[in-house]
Amino acid sequence: MKYRLIGVALIVLALGLSSDAFATPSNLLNVLRQASLIFLSASGLTLVIVGAGLDLSVGANLGLSACFAAAAIKATGALSSGFAAGLACGIIVGLLNGLMVTKLRLPPFIATYGMLWMLYGVNYWYMKGDTIYGFPSSFRALGSGDLLDIPIPVYLMVIGLLAGGVFTRYTTLGHEVYAIGANAEAARLSGIPVSSRLILLYTLSGAMAGLAGVIYLARLNSAEAGIGTPLLLPAIAAVLIGGTSLFGGSGGLAGTMIGAIILTLVLNGMNLLGINSNWQPLVTGVIILFAALIDSVTRRHAELGA
Amino acid sequence: MGRLARIPGVAFLLVVLGILFGIFAGGFASLPNLLNIGIQSSTLLLLALPMTFIIMTEGLDLSMGAVLGLTGVVLASALVAGNTLIVAFAAALGVGLAFGIANGLLVVKLGLPPFVATLGTLGIAQGIALVMTGGESVAGIGPALPKLYATKWVGIPFSILVAALMYAAFHFLLYHTRFGNYVFAIGGNREALVLAGVPAGFFHVLVYALAGLMTGFAALLLTGRMNSGHPIAAMGMEFDAIAAVIVGGTERQRGNGWLPGTVLGVLAVGVLRNGLNVMAIQSSLQVASIGLLLIVALLIDSIRKRQL
Amino acid sequence: MTPAPLIEMRHISKAFPGVQALKDVSLAAFGSEVHMLVGQNGAGKSTLIKILCGAYRPNQGEFLVHGKPVHIESTRDARRLGVAVIFQEFSLVPYLDIAQNIFLGREFPGRIPGTVDRGRLHSEARRILDLLGMDVDTRTKTHRLGVAQQQMIEIAKALSQDAKVLVMDEPTAAISDREIERLFEIIRKLRGEGIAIIYISHRMREVFEIGDRITVLRDGANVASLRPSETTMDELVRLMVGREVDTTYRTRFCERPGEAVLDVKALDTKSGIRGANLTLCAGEIVGLAGLVGAGRTELVRAIFGADTRISGEIFLKGRALRGSPAEAVRQGMGLVPENRKTEGLALLRSVHDNMLTAGLRQLFPHGWYTFAKAKRAVEGLIKSLRVVTPSARRPARFLSGGNQQKVVIGKWLNAGSKVFIFDEPTRGIDIGAKAEIYKLMETLVADGAAVLVISSELPELVAVCDRAYVLRNKAIVGELRRTDLTEENILRMAMQHG
Repeated sequence: MKYRLIGVALIVLALGLSSDAFATPSNLLNVLRQASLIFLSASGLTLVIVGAGLDLSVGANLGLSACFAAAAIKATGALSSGFAAGLACGIIVGLLNGLMVTKLRLPPFIATYGMLWMLYGVNYWYMKGDTIYGFPSSFRALGSGDLLDIPIPVYLMVIGLLAGGVFTRYTTLGHEVYAIGANAEAARLSGIPVSSRLILLYTLSGAMAGLAGVIYLARLNSAEAGIGTPLLLPAIAAVLIGGTSLFGGSGGLAGTMIGAIILTLVLNGMNLLGINSNWQPLVTGVIILFAALIDSVTRRHAELGA
Repeated sequence: MGRLARIPGVAFLLVVLGILFGIFAGGFASLPNLLNIGIQSSTLLLLALPMTFIIMTEGLDLSMGAVLGLTGVVLASALVAGNTLIVAFAAALGVGLAFGIANGLLVVKLGLPPFVATLGTLGIAQGIALVMTGGESVAGIGPALPKLYATKWVGIPFSILVAALMYAAFHFLLYHTRFGNYVFAIGGNREALVLAGVPAGFFHVLVYALAGLMTGFAALLLTGRMNSGHPIAAMGMEFDAIAAVIVGGTERQRGNGWLPGTVLGVLAVGVLRNGLNVMAIQSSLQVASIGLLLIVALLIDSIRKRQL
Repeated sequence: MTPAPLIEMRHISKAFPGVQALKDVSLAAFGSEVHMLVGQNGAGKSTLIKILCGAYRPNQGEFLVHGKPVHIESTRDARRLGVAVIFQEFSLVPYLDIAQNIFLGREFPGRIPGTVDRGRLHSEARRILDLLGMDVDTRTKTHRLGVAQQQMIEIAKALSQDAKVLVMDEPTAAISDREIERLFEIIRKLRGEGIAIIYISHRMREVFEIGDRITVLRDGANVASLRPSETTMDELVRLMVGREVDTTYRTRFCERPGEAVLDVKALDTKSGIRGANLTLCAGEIVGLAGLVGAGRTELVRAIFGADTRISGEIFLKGRALRGSPAEAVRQGMGLVPENRKTEGLALLRSVHDNMLTAGLRQLFPHGWYTFAKAKRAVEGLIKSLRVVTPSARRPARFLSGGNQQKVVIGKWLNAGSKVFIFDEPTRGIDIGAKAEIYKLMETLVADGAAVLVISSELPELVAVCDRAYVLRNKAIVGELRRTDLTEENILRMAMQHG
């Protein structure tokens, strides 16, 4: 963790030196806002990865939830219906993922990858190429507004972090998730009901993606098919940079927060330095590779050291 | 029950799908349409064959679609720039091979989990293709490629010929060469290979390199059919390939691969897509169906395994 | 005049970070001899063997073949000199056939470069299999073979490489007694043909049955090299351990068992168990004996709920179990599995976390975890079980086998288990730790718990159990009371026909 914080400091320093526009309060707050959105998208994913699972459908789930939420708000005029719709969509997707992984014994990355494409299809079919836009300012504030000059998503991020911390440290369920991630069979033979815990985990992850979708909708103020897709790579990057191991059993939300900040700083820096935005998925891909490489090497080193 | 048990689930699936579409989709069972399935499936087969090897070695390649998009763009751009077909083709092969080797090195030498490594190269390939083209198609590739694509030999279209030849080549590789044995070994018991003094790492990288190379070949068919190159033309095709391989009976562990099954799997995917097309169901829902197909196939096989 | 040894290792030293694995060890293996290599776990046997076959390089030392110095710097060197090693983990590729496996990496080239001459591959493989008296089709994929057959293929591999020195690491660990006899026949045959055989074993009886020479390693040093005729089992144990070991594991047997805590009636399982009936009372240590493959592990896994039950009933403290590990644990059963590293522990996590895994719901019934309570529970157990670890935060993978086993037991104590099932609890554990584990078992039952123990070490079963059930072919074929509990009786029941 120390190294990551040092990394943040270094990046901030480097960017501050190379661009005048970087160190302005508005830019930094913008970075925090953006990082918070990535964190919210990646929070459920983090827990699933700790449990040695994977959810490649977060982006699509998020996007679909946003679209349903948008439609619900437009139809009923009530914001609460938007939350309900987004949450419901997220929960259903998460539940299906959980069932595929536990009951059908599909490997997580195949199951959620398939789900990704299925959601994509449903999303396009549902939206029929339309865009839903124009939401009340009270709603938009959730994504684009400030409270005491700090972007509201940042508060949401902190709340999410605290809630996650309580979950992983002070609940038996949280400890069970780590046990399952570290060695699922040993956890099962220790009396942990692995299948039902995993279903719960994926459902929780889906719910958080659904909620993130609603916040994202508030930020974008519009919804169309596919808005969630570009969030997948950054979410994975945030989790990996943050030190949560793909192999399960270690890591957590604090790391994902730092990871989201580091990633956003890098992408922000690229913007400020005038680099074409088409390069961003590429850079994210490279970052994912590096982070995974470090994870893999660290894990192998740890296993060999026994 | 013994004889029946050995026929893989995919064969039944194929028959069922074929019958269903034959009944419900008008025009599905006509000869030109069936030929169409063959042509459309050819490109997928070129991807699914090396994907079989990769999955046998307990790996995965999520970058195939993106790299195919890139090699298609490279091929088209080279043709537009006035190069001969041979030179352009070589360029596409080269780019594909480079990405294949990169994937192999990331997975084998650096020990990255395959899906992460190929997810990363997916982003890189897609990024390069987008930057190269600004998101637009590369058109005006000249007459050479379309002409080649349209040729028929004894009435068999070019693409099906290429697919058949490639199948023969891969079949030979897997079942009659040392390399084939090693592919089984890398997935089944890599330690054994290393202990036997074989440079397992080299052959393992070769498996991914082969996949990269095949995207170059696939570019020929894809660009020929679309008459242009587009960066995200093949997006998601790796998913179809993975589905085809797994539906075809290749297991993800222990090096248990069955190449003929991959052909059946490709046909199953092809039949499904074509059938849905004929019924005018949009492509995004088609993908959803492929996902469903995969799940159904896995379900059937796991139920049968439990009964045995 | 004594002939020069076929192969000799002199003054071998090898250090790994933090530990001196071998100190100045010399070993001479003669042709036509079975040379037993014995010693506790961690004594250096595996390291020595890995150096012999070129997988490790020694820090110091030399090698001689027929008295002439040679270099072994890679596995290829070793192979060229005729050294073949059969490890406990077989190196067979499951979906390749026998012939392909035997000649893996040394395939006969076909006419086109890169292809394989399959005809020759199979005829050569056939020749070797006939030598070994195996009549399996060479086209059989090896995943279809049983453990003993797979081992034979490994031997075939060695023979196909003209092995002059055959090293076997605990070859009898996972095969039945009848298969062991077969193996010994083949070993004798190979010995007759001049091959030097180096044989690592934990089983004293084999040492005397088939050994011609014995080398004892202790703490990385060669402490003795003798002939079986010159020594006794007790002396060997003394040499291995360096002190007198108390082999009386149990001081007081159960005179009056308490009430039945586990009752199994007519159990049929998916794994093949048929009609098992079993009772376990408080205060007892009951053994489960049988040949490998008889179904002991399958039986206990079904009792624990880890494997599927087809029919029959299981009562734990009078309560019917539906069949899941979660339920069994909740009702007070604990399973110490055969593979403690992969099924009993999460090696990555700390001793603290591992010890709490099964007891989370017991200690924190409302789902709320408090560090103070957790720490108290764990530290208490570390002390009472005498787990050797610098701290409770140490990752479990750094502990020795015996201490890892104690962590697993501690996990169940934290869960409040009253019925303990041990599956091969002392496999791969040195003699000192074995005694501790059995003493622990005795303490458990003295406190009113009940223990079911599976062991392939018959002397241990006989020394520890109040009574034992014997399994054969996935069914319980008999029960032996304390007075009848002898190794001969067990074996007879385990092997009898009809």
